[in-house]
Amino acid sequence: MKGRPNLYTDYRKEIAILNTTTQKFWALIGLTLLIISSFFFSQYWMYLITTALLTAVAAWGLNIVSGFAGQISLAHGAFVGIGTYVSAVLGGVGSSYIRGYELDMLIWLPLAGIVPAIIGLIISPLAVRLKGLNLGLVTLGLVFIASYIFSNWNSVTGGSGIGRKTAKLKIFGIDFNDGFYAGSYHIEKDQFIFFLSLILFIFAGIGVKNLMRSKIGRAYAAIRDRDIAAEAIGINLYRFKASAFALSSFYAGVAGSLIFVMSGGVDPTQFNLVYSVTFIAIVIVGGAGTVLGPLFGAAFFSLIPGVIKYFLHFFGTTADQVPLHPTQIERLVFGLLLIGFLIFESRGLWGIWFRLRNYFKAWPFSY
Amino acid sequence: MSTIVSFKDVSLNFGGVKALNNVSFDIKEGSLHAIIGPNGAGKTSIFNCISGIYKPTSGHVEFKGENIGSLRPDEIANKGVARTFQNIELFENMTVLDNILIGAHRHIDYGSISGILFGPSVREKEIEARKIAEDIIDFLEIEEYRFSYILSLPYGIQKRVELARALAMKPEIILLDEPAAGMNNEETEDIARFILDIHEELKITTVLVDHDMNMVMDIAEDVIVMDFGQKLFDGIPKDAIHDKQVIEAYLGVSTDK
Ligand SMILES: Nc1ncnc2c1ncn2[C@@H]1O[C@H](COP(=O)(O)OP(=O)(O)OP(=O)(O)O)[C@@H](O)[C@H]1O
Ligand SMILES: [Mg+2]
Repeated sequence: MKGRPNLYTDYRKEIAILNTTTQKFWALIGLTLLIISSFFFSQYWMYLITTALLTAVAAWGLNIVSGFAGQISLAHGAFVGIGTYVSAVLGGVGSSYIRGYELDMLIWLPLAGIVPAIIGLIISPLAVRLKGLNLGLVTLGLVFIASYIFSNWNSVTGGSGIGRKTAKLKIFGIDFNDGFYAGSYHIEKDQFIFFLSLILFIFAGIGVKNLMRSKIGRAYAAIRDRDIAAEAIGINLYRFKASAFALSSFYAGVAGSLIFVMSGGVDPTQFNLVYSVTFIAIVIVGGAGTVLGPLFGAAFFSLIPGVIKYFLHFFGTTADQVPLHPTQIERLVFGLLLIGFLIFESRGLWGIWFRLRNYFKAWPFSY
Repeated sequence: MSTIVSFKDVSLNFGGVKALNNVSFDIKEGSLHAIIGPNGAGKTSIFNCISGIYKPTSGHVEFKGENIGSLRPDEIANKGVARTFQNIELFENMTVLDNILIGAHRHIDYGSISGILFGPSVREKEIEARKIAEDIIDFLEIEEYRFSYILSLPYGIQKRVELARALAMKPEIILLDEPAAGMNNEETEDIARFILDIHEELKITTVLVDHDMNMVMDIAEDVIVMDFGQKLFDGIPKDAIHDKQVIEAYLGVSTDK
């Protein structure tokens, strides 16, 4: 009789969230390093890293609908915007011409996810009827509609070119806007936002990983790869495309609620087509359909400005001595990478990491 | 025995092509029913009408006495109708195990939000699903491929995995579209043995489409012969091989010389 050589005797272990010691090891190391170094970051790097964490959350959202469920969405940035404005209106300061209710973060944070999720649900029937390029075009239309509304709904967004202030940080009625004391150590407001973002990031990451190891993630992948076979198995395309859009928008909205809080203000022109496309680029450069991919992509995209600035500084040049502006260099580098990945490594940064990992399999930590 | 699937004057047109032309038949619960016929006879179209991928142009299809004409494919699948495809429709970038777990979809009962939270009850349900999958892996003797990606597997094994995915649905009826196509003799014998096991051990009503008469004649209890969208014959295999129309359709010659 044949044995079952590959059979895990413990399925529990097999479906665990981090199922190897290496994974646990690196997750722990990464988090510890991040937390410790946060005490030494300059304000500039704190800002970049916080942006990277929240961008990763939003990119995970896009990855749910596009990477896992295979439904292209060019409107992701618009959902980030909706989250931003839900939080700004509920948690921000109002005036005679701008709405703001200064509510607790415990109210605006969940709602910044739930409102976009509901809007995502409402538009999801489009995804059931349309596929591929057509769906892309319709979501493109949504970005334009959203941009228009954002630019003209002055009492919510402040209007284009003017903008408004973002949500204030008040939790359980305690005001954190000027930082606070942990014992005798003063935690700055920025560091506080960094920690909030980190917590959000961790939960968001666990959520994505859970989704992928659940029947929901499998149903998404089934719809993405072969929708007719998926239906013949009993997977309701309407239901799962709708849930993918809703979850994806939830992630976008939650990320959006905090992403501009550190800079303190937001202009509605921010949420244009380029912003939405950026998320697609992040997911592709990082590696679509994986858990780590969007994280790599987001880190890469958000930290490039810092790295470029660092190099310019290192070579003793200032920004005005080089023919290109640092943001132009960023775009150029990222654009070239995007093309490079599409041509040479469709699995993105994740693919490179995957190969490196296999290359170093002989290393002591490999199991 | 009661009828599980019934076609009542079903026609299916594609422009001018009559894929099915006034076809009526009953499939009895618990039977092993074969559908044979030359290329383009309408065999796959019958399956597509049962599983709701195509809707009949006229007439209707019943499942256990209920008209399923207005149901979506997933609703029909959830009534217990499983199928395989003529051209393998596996999820190629996934492992054998994941394909089978997707097959078990309808037996894993929790929603999207529970999936994201992955609490203890979800965990138990996933483990339960894994046990269903493991039983089927055992049944079809594909243990060694459990963690292999579909693309890396030989054709014959892929066909078997597709069968496994259909079985994971724990269906009441299973529709097999040319399960032995492209296989050598040994593989064909294996598949024939599995089909008999599915029918006898698991007691699943089995409908089998095939081109060639040999395997069908060996294992089927009933056979429907199709040609150009029309039903030529419906009865036991022994009678089919003596039927004038059937012989004509297959050999393209008149028998009464
Ligand atoms: N989607 C479609 N569009 C147009 N014509 C179709 C379609 N599906 C089937 N047909 C036509 O309907 C007829 C019956 O096709 P069907 O696939 O049911 O035959 P079959 O008996 O399964 O043949 P084979 O043995 O080649 O698989 C053929 O003439 C085919 O060309
Ligand atoms: Mg066919």
